[in-house]
Amino acid sequence: MSAEHPEGWIPPDVMAGITQQFFEECEEHLALLESGFLRLEAGDHDPETVNSVFRAAHSIKGGAAMLGATALVGFSHRFESALAHFRTSKTFPSHDVLKVFLKATDQLADLVRATRAGKELTDEQLNAASRELAGLADTTGTDTSPVAHTEEPAFSPVRVEFEDFAPAEQPWTIDFRPHAELYAKANDPIVLLRELKRLGEMDTVLDTSAIPLLSDLNLEDAYLAWSITLHTARTESAVREVFEFVERDCDLHVRAGIAETAIPPAADPRPVPAPALRPGDASQDAPALRAALQQPSTLRVDLERLDRLINLVSELVISEAALAEYAPKDSAQNPNFGEALDDLSQLTRDIQESVMGIRAQPVKSVFQRLPRLVREIEKATGKTVRLTIEGEDTQVDRSVIEGLTDPLTHMVRNAIDHGIETYEQRQKANKPAQGSLRISAAHRAGRVVIEVADDGGGIDRDCVRAIAVKQNLISADAIVAGEDIDNLIFEPGFTTADKVTDLSGRGVGMDVVRRSVQALGGRISVSSRRGAGTTFALSLPLTLAVLDGMLVSVCGQSLVVPLAALLETVQFSCDNVHKVGPNASLLAIRGSHVPLIDLGATLGYKPQSQLSADGIALLVEDDAGRRVALAVDDILGQKQVVIKSLEINCHRIAGIAAATILGNGLVALILDVNAVMASQKIGLAQDERLMAHA
Amino acid sequence: MPIAAQIKTVIVDDQSTMRSLLRACLRQIGVSQVTECCDGEEALEVLKRVPTHLVISDLNMPKLDGIGLLRAVRGDPAIAKTAFIMLTSHAERNCVQDAVKFGVNNYLVKPFNFAGLKTKIEAVFGPLT
Repeated sequence: MSAEHPEGWIPPDVMAGITQQFFEECEEHLALLESGFLRLEAGDHDPETVNSVFRAAHSIKGGAAMLGATALVGFSHRFESALAHFRTSKTFPSHDVLKVFLKATDQLADLVRATRAGKELTDEQLNAASRELAGLADTTGTDTSPVAHTEEPAFSPVRVEFEDFAPAEQPWTIDFRPHAELYAKANDPIVLLRELKRLGEMDTVLDTSAIPLLSDLNLEDAYLAWSITLHTARTESAVREVFEFVERDCDLHVRAGIAETAIPPAADPRPVPAPALRPGDASQDAPALRAALQQPSTLRVDLERLDRLINLVSELVISEAALAEYAPKDSAQNPNFGEALDDLSQLTRDIQESVMGIRAQPVKSVFQRLPRLVREIEKATGKTVRLTIEGEDTQVDRSVIEGLTDPLTHMVRNAIDHGIETYEQRQKANKPAQGSLRISAAHRAGRVVIEVADDGGGIDRDCVRAIAVKQNLISADAIVAGEDIDNLIFEPGFTTADKVTDLSGRGVGMDVVRRSVQALGGRISVSSRRGAGTTFALSLPLTLAVLDGMLVSVCGQSLVVPLAALLETVQFSCDNVHKVGPNASLLAIRGSHVPLIDLGATLGYKPQSQLSADGIALLVEDDAGRRVALAVDDILGQKQVVIKSLEINCHRIAGIAAATILGNGLVALILDVNAVMASQKIGLAQDERLMAHA
Repeated sequence: MPIAAQIKTVIVDDQSTMRSLLRACLRQIGVSQVTECCDGEEALEVLKRVPTHLVISDLNMPKLDGIGLLRAVRGDPAIAKTAFIMLTSHAERNCVQDAVKFGVNNYLVKPFNFAGLKTKIEAVFGPLT
């Protein structure tokens, strides 16, 4: 083999894989470093925590050295050396020291990513961090000088004779017949057999010949016996030890060799092994066991392959829908067809869920970047913030996670920069000097809800309103409800910052956040209490690939309304519809009124709203819990649809979230309920006012 | 069959990169019967079940470290004869003396390469090819 690679090193493609693996592993180590230091900062005094951070730094260094990443080796070596003192002295770093370590962790992360991208950090960047680490080590008297290749210790290798050392295996035959007392004392033969199996490979033959006819069977009696052939290097006493506690309650015979009477397994008669191990003959080892041992418990899969699988499953869902479409309408004609189709749908759904499950990842990968971000913002703003993270194990589709980083980063910046007050302001308001920022993730009703909550000053509605009027977002005399004022901050171009700060005042506002959340099929809402803080809630779909929806027709077009937003379907007539304006109607449902929107007119299928005297409507709810009824022409039924993005081919269309392909091959648009309601927002506010008068 | 192809090896390291590198290097030498373990505890379980000729183990690992594994191997008559090569870093060289005390067959300093690994294994088993 080495002839193909004269330099005797690893083939390039294998090496590329290992390099990739190294950088992925580095991310894990970096996360470990950060969480370890944060735990220590929180007062964790477990020496294993120090050990684990040391190991993480050590591993990065070791891997980098193998791959020849010199800069990374140097820095991680300093890091490791600075840590070594605490590991050996079993002391814990002080808060000031931990701050240096956390900063160094950030720099190590930068260095790892730069190395991965094939870039180099400037000496200045590197030296600054190195100096601080070296300073630490100096005070603790550790040597952090770069790795020196000194003499190897005096050592002479211990030769072994290859044939000589292999453990000698020997077959044992064990006859084991439990008595009734064994069972009566709550012993279980399976436990003993499992214990025995730990000693080596074994074949078991169960003797059931003593079992009587059912009528003669005594439930308290023992009828089973086992004949076991065990190949082990252990002694007879080790074998007998397994049966130590049941010896008196069974017939037990242990003897060397293979019993003449033992029935070999029919399919694979086991050859009598020679007493010495035959190392070359791998087939002699139980193949299943070997496979199980060599199989790692996780598997890294190329994302592209996974995406291809997702696409295939999506196509499968469409095909299945097509099949259902063309199924014979008369079930009497072919009764089995319907049943087979049902099985297929169930299977398709199971496959789909499994595949989605593979793509699901804990939000941890996004959340774990936040402590560093908060530290950086703290430094830039001079505010101190206590960050609490909850639900970081919540699983979300990978694509959602990828799209989450930017909006979340922006929201955290905003929360600290604009939300949390300065030290002086907080003191005046009798609040703790340290601000609090809570970021949480949780599954709620088939979606993932991520909340960013600060205990800052809350949204100043008067100020927001004034700005909105100034920027012509609303007219000066518009009557806008309290929460609707809060929601104005999501309008394009809106900014409350009187001064542009380094952090959040870059002209990129909450509208960008909202847009990126919407691109993920998500929604964002805000709730705020003056003086007590602001909470942003992101509601995201678990997956971007499929959706349960209600198929409706409007002006001859097929539309899908997401089931998550749908509350019920209602029939309306002139009895329960009240016209409250030229283009506004209210629908009375069980004593309450909701706006009735002509969906066809809202989406521009017809020039203006013309609600017929009676018809059918879908009662839907947006994230904030506001309800409207959407008048449609017909309801076609519930469908599971595969989401196809429109934005790749068309630009974003107001009121439409995406498209899908139906079983009959036609394209249907998926409705964005929130957007439809938002487009009616000002109208709604007026309606509410009218309702208040009514 | 050359000895290399017959040697059953267990490699023990908590870093998957290092395990992959070792596996790839061993492959170049002709050692293809390799089982990977992430720590000493796991390795000990495997060694008790699967007859093994050679253990290549990292020193610093969670749960049971390299020295702990070496002591456990030498203390169990059924597997005591297994050849043991310890992986160390430069900073850990002083641990080699400990390892000698507990009967290590050879040691290998990281970063190593294919040739270094081969030399160390041949010092234990004699010429591999």
